[in-house]
Amino acid sequence: VSTGADEVRGTGGAAGRQPARRRLLPAAMTGQELVLVGVIAVIWVVLALRTPAFLSADSLQPLLVATAPIALVGVGMTVVIITGGIDVSVGGALMVCAVLSAKALVAGVPSALAVLLSVLVGGLLGAVNGLLIAYGRVHAIIITFGTANLFLFAGLQIFDSQTVNGIPPGFDVFGRGEAGRTLGVPHAFLITLVVGAAAWWYLRHTAGGRHFYAIGGNPDAARLAGIRVRRRILLAYLLTGLLVGLGACFLIAQGTSTLDQSVGSGKELAVIAAVVIGGTSIMGGRGSVLGTLLGALLVQSVTSGVTQLGWRSQLSDLFVGLAIIVAVGADLLRLRRS
Amino acid sequence: MTSLNTHEARGARLRRLVLTNRIALLAVLIVLVVAYFFVLDAGGYLTADYDFDYLSAALINAVPLAMLGLAELLVILSGRGGIDLSVGSIVSLAGMVFGVVYGQWGWPLWAAIVLTALVGALLGAVNGFLVAYVGFPALIATLATFYGYKSLAIVLTDANPISTPPIQNLFSITRSVELPVIGRDIPNVPLGLITFLLPTVVVVWLLVARTTYGRRLYAIGTNDVAARWAGLPVRGTRFKAYTYAGLISGLVAVVTVAQFASARPDAGVTGNGMALPAITIAVLGGVAITGGIGRVAGVVLATLLVVWLNAGILLAFVGNAGAQYQLLALGAVLVFAALLNGLTTRRYGLQGGSR
Repeated sequence: VSTGADEVRGTGGAAGRQPARRRLLPAAMTGQELVLVGVIAVIWVVLALRTPAFLSADSLQPLLVATAPIALVGVGMTVVIITGGIDVSVGGALMVCAVLSAKALVAGVPSALAVLLSVLVGGLLGAVNGLLIAYGRVHAIIITFGTANLFLFAGLQIFDSQTVNGIPPGFDVFGRGEAGRTLGVPHAFLITLVVGAAAWWYLRHTAGGRHFYAIGGNPDAARLAGIRVRRRILLAYLLTGLLVGLGACFLIAQGTSTLDQSVGSGKELAVIAAVVIGGTSIMGGRGSVLGTLLGALLVQSVTSGVTQLGWRSQLSDLFVGLAIIVAVGADLLRLRRS
Repeated sequence: MTSLNTHEARGARLRRLVLTNRIALLAVLIVLVVAYFFVLDAGGYLTADYDFDYLSAALINAVPLAMLGLAELLVILSGRGGIDLSVGSIVSLAGMVFGVVYGQWGWPLWAAIVLTALVGALLGAVNGFLVAYVGFPALIATLATFYGYKSLAIVLTDANPISTPPIQNLFSITRSVELPVIGRDIPNVPLGLITFLLPTVVVVWLLVARTTYGRRLYAIGTNDVAARWAGLPVRGTRFKAYTYAGLISGLVAVVTVAQFASARPDAGVTGNGMALPAITIAVLGGVAITGGIGRVAGVVLATLLVVWLNAGILLAFVGNAGAQYQLLALGAVLVFAALLNGLTTRRYGLQGGSR
């Protein structure tokens, strides 16, 4: 339903154009996203009432910095899931990128080059996934389970059984500290917002972006409509890989000067959680980047909320699980009703 | 001339058999892997002996792996994107329940095991309810319960492991015993293999291959709309698949507690967790992720392949490099198996793991 916008825009007369566009493009903000904004607001108000310091810059800035890597990788994951795929290897890929760029920094490589290296390596790993999935014609979850193991192996080999120590503060522009902010807004969050906005516009308003939805809706129909399905799928995983590379730099910046082997572990599920809480359908063909950003913010708000309330930190996982059930359950109910 | 032709035809038939029949392929791979490590061993390249005693002792690792692989078999067979990411978390949570009732409250062992299995079944039933009755995609529902159960397992005892004397004594399950009658002539077998794995394999095989329920499971996995029109209880059948998977995970919890000699709240989710290897085993065993295709024998053989491959890799490297190469092997084998599935589907018009 959501894929015919371009054809209509191209062929429709001036009179029929406006209503047609309004009908075919989904609303700028879906009910799911409005609910998410509401839930985040409630969490913030509750936290602010319990600990008045919560709404201060000192507390919100780290929250936004911590949200950034999940949200950033989530943007790529959103595109992947919209095409009907999934990528469970981002945890392993994050590890490879993080350890490589950390070692590069230690070796004295300028930080801009280290970021570039990380992004390129991430892109390469994403391309491996994309090629295997698009041209090997294998279900995405199987291939990425496999490459997840391969990436973990590569990451651990590069670690060489020891932590990376004495990482110079070259990535502090992405970090929590003073160097990581402009006018009080953390750079990592700002970059995520810019990437998110670009992806949002691309997915919503360009022909190329709509193709991803078409593929997720019905790959055979998409191919018959002239869409280069394999190339699009490859692009989705490549994009995720590039963002993983950048996200890995954010992760290093958040940590101390020591990087250990646990980097990236479990992040694939956190990213997928953020995407599905944001209302993107795991069946493909439906979803938005805005939802993913809100989903990531919700997950991080819950996580830091649990800590700030003085509860056991692992309790946050329970709330993340509940959030997934509630968010997707509400979506299912809405679908059933319409 | 004629004999040459039949010879060629036989070769092609054999190739087709190995490529399209997952069980034949796995059997060949197992022989190759074991033979390869025997050769390495004979050449003195391994850090310890790779012999039948070692192969037998390594089977203790097959117990949780194969059982969870069978749990995944049931849910993946049920179709509609069936998968269970939460098995590792169920192992953690059910294991903590077992630790509390057996290690702290002093329940008799059988009662504790029954309760643990029931807790597992209940946790699996939550998945089944969400997937079969509410209509959640399985990946989402079990991702959510993965988080939920993992968290509850840690909160239940405030992150403290339980390793009271009764729990520590359970370690005896990992000891190897001599089988009656033929035991003299073959290596000793880990006790867990006989007490947990074998009964599970037999029961699951009977369930999927010899009962009405099994035929229904294949039917709804192959085409659940057709199954509904044929009057099958689609929802109930799918619900039970997740419940059984939870029950098996509950039994694995007991095995895991015994192996660690401690009920650890993170037992099933540390590192890569238990769900990923279990799904890998199932897929390697020829279970089609789209549902309706897969056999118990495939899962068992895939487990043997991975366990014996891992055991060999462990001896081929000094220090913990072996553990890393196990990841490489698992990933490579999975990607290879998946690509092979795609290839044989195109070449022979069959699913690689046909039954």
